[in-house]
Amino acid sequence: MFKRFISLEWKQFRRASYFQKGLAIKILLFLAVLYFGGAAIMLGVGLFFILKKAIPTVDPIQTVNNFLIYWFLFDLLIRYFMQQLPVMNIKPLMTIPIKRSTVIHFLLGKTSISFFNFLPLFIFLPFSIVLLFQGYPVINVLCWFVAMVALTLSNNFINFLINKDNKAFYGILTVLVVFVALEVKGVFKVSQPIGQAFNFLYNNPYVAILPILLEVGLYRLNFSFIKKGFYLDGAISKKVKEVNATDLSWMNRFGAVAPFLKNDIKLIWRNVRPRQVMFMSFIFLFYGVIFYTQEVYRDMPAMLAFASMFVTGGFLMTFGQLVPSWDSEYYKMLMSQNIPYKTYLQSKWYLMVFAVILSFILSTPYIYFGWDIYGMIAAGAVFNIGLNSFITLYGGVLNRVPVELNAKAKAFSNTNGFNPTQLLIALPKFALPMLLFYIPYKLISYEAGIIAIAIGGVLGIIFRNYIFNIIESVYQKGKYKTIAAFSEKK
Amino acid sequence: MITTSNLSKTYNDVTVLNIENLEIPKGQSFGLVGNNGAGKTTYFSLLLDLIQPSTGHIENNGVLVHESEDWKPFTASFVDESFLIGYLTAEEYFYFIGELRGQKPSDVDALLAQFEDFFHGEILGQKKYLRDLSKGNQKKAGIVAALIGNPEVIILDEPFANLDPTTQIRLKGIVKNLAEKQGVTVLISSHDLMHVTDVCERIVVLEKGEVVKDLETSEATLKELEAHFSQEAEV
Repeated sequence: MFKRFISLEWKQFRRASYFQKGLAIKILLFLAVLYFGGAAIMLGVGLFFILKKAIPTVDPIQTVNNFLIYWFLFDLLIRYFMQQLPVMNIKPLMTIPIKRSTVIHFLLGKTSISFFNFLPLFIFLPFSIVLLFQGYPVINVLCWFVAMVALTLSNNFINFLINKDNKAFYGILTVLVVFVALEVKGVFKVSQPIGQAFNFLYNNPYVAILPILLEVGLYRLNFSFIKKGFYLDGAISKKVKEVNATDLSWMNRFGAVAPFLKNDIKLIWRNVRPRQVMFMSFIFLFYGVIFYTQEVYRDMPAMLAFASMFVTGGFLMTFGQLVPSWDSEYYKMLMSQNIPYKTYLQSKWYLMVFAVILSFILSTPYIYFGWDIYGMIAAGAVFNIGLNSFITLYGGVLNRVPVELNAKAKAFSNTNGFNPTQLLIALPKFALPMLLFYIPYKLISYEAGIIAIAIGGVLGIIFRNYIFNIIESVYQKGKYKTIAAFSEKK
Repeated sequence: MITTSNLSKTYNDVTVLNIENLEIPKGQSFGLVGNNGAGKTTYFSLLLDLIQPSTGHIENNGVLVHESEDWKPFTASFVDESFLIGYLTAEEYFYFIGELRGQKPSDVDALLAQFEDFFHGEILGQKKYLRDLSKGNQKKAGIVAALIGNPEVIILDEPFANLDPTTQIRLKGIVKNLAEKQGVTVLISSHDLMHVTDVCERIVVLEKGEVVKDLETSEATLKELEAHFSQEAEV
């Protein structure tokens, strides 16, 4: 029976629409997998030596053990956010004579071959091999490795159990943040007791049975959980959510674009995918920290300009690049309704502008890095509003990939709303401000560079009506193609 | 009201629709029947400018559909579920459509009040998103949304499918009322010969993209249609 399931899954995979996309995407995806896999293996191989060099007094395996708790908590967070629940199309299977338990075993087994379970393997396996080459005892290393795999899989099944509830996510996030804060402040180092526990496990290989038992236990728990809910209205089918209606009538002051704005707020609020994107864009706010803290970039202010575009432009880039796609599920209706295209585009523009302004307000703490940095962020915000927003909208017309609103983006099969032209159109969003900055900076001064970026943005704002008209005509021209592409997948 | 001339649609050398001339006067309730692939949905999509004609054109109240957008204010439609916005509640959707068509919330409320028995208490005040409603209830919401804003032309693709018998009967009443009393041009496609003959004054049969019958509805129409399609079945 399993063989049949596997062939079904294979067909689903092979015949999925994203797989029949262009060669370019396949190559890009392949490269991405190669890159992440390669990076993980490199890290796994190098970890031992890095740690040995960094903390020569402590055995690297102990250092690793100390930090495992953070690794697994972080892993759980990422999973919660990215890993898709294993929804098999159970409906057609319910009425044919296959044992329920077979289906459930398959379903659970399928989750264990997720990318999220392989990535840790790519790190732990090379690390263990290096350990063996360094003359560490075989039994201990082997059992330790098995324990790591078991814990990774435990995380996998824990995620399955808690994923239905947002509270769990915030719970883990809080625990992680509190642990890190306490650790940094030196109040209570959670890494010590847990690290000792893992050291104990390493020194006493038979203890590896505990993680395995944990994994098996979680598996059984999941099994009984699914078995109980193995009905159409049960756990595997989608939950019907109660509506949370908020009064958005205050937005009516925005005039003609108000109906769309209200709609977009609901779109973001009530659908999985846009919420995910929202969250991502929030993370972009911290992008600057990476660059501003490094001395190297202080001498390369063009790179700082690059980072500054991200600080306020996260939402614009992540949400904006999928602009018509967000409405792909009901695009036909919009096109046959009594609406000018321009208003539709303007509403998206307002949304992005609003997000940029909000990000800018939230970025105030960057003043800590100095006014020159903050000035750069401010100029970047203006540029984002005045030009990048339009570039993004313009790029949207080239993007004809439908987006499933209420499904999480899958890691590595996330071609849902992704294409190479998107990458091309993203280029000027950073290259342009960097150039605008660099030339006056070299010729005149740092301030002149900032002003140049800002002027670019202001010009965009001034000529926005003109630009809107151009974009509108481009959208109009692509209308039929877009409609056809959006209604393709069902 | 709606004039179709020399209209054809071709995909990769396969002609899926070819209508030389079709005139639909104002206030007519017009029925389109035909087997799967006969071109019904293609015709409606052309009417709504969702696809481009290969040759010819459709004129809606004097407006060339594929050239100007001026037909949009007086034309409303419900073709399939993709006309619904899944993450809205029915009320929110109605108000949204109302706003697009320049209707105040109170106007929308007044209209909705007329359809209370059509909704049968399953649409309004449900605290459910449209995507979580059953197919039939989604259809009800979509059909009523197409009536918002006093359109002069209403296009409904298979409105009877998925509806329960009571609602089907109510829908027939609504459509008749629209065409006879309010002078609205209603275009309907259906697989249910009985319903179309009940509702429509005129029925056009499409077959492989061509008009093969154009009937003024009378007592004999249903028999004729049944004869036509059972003949098909025998061949």
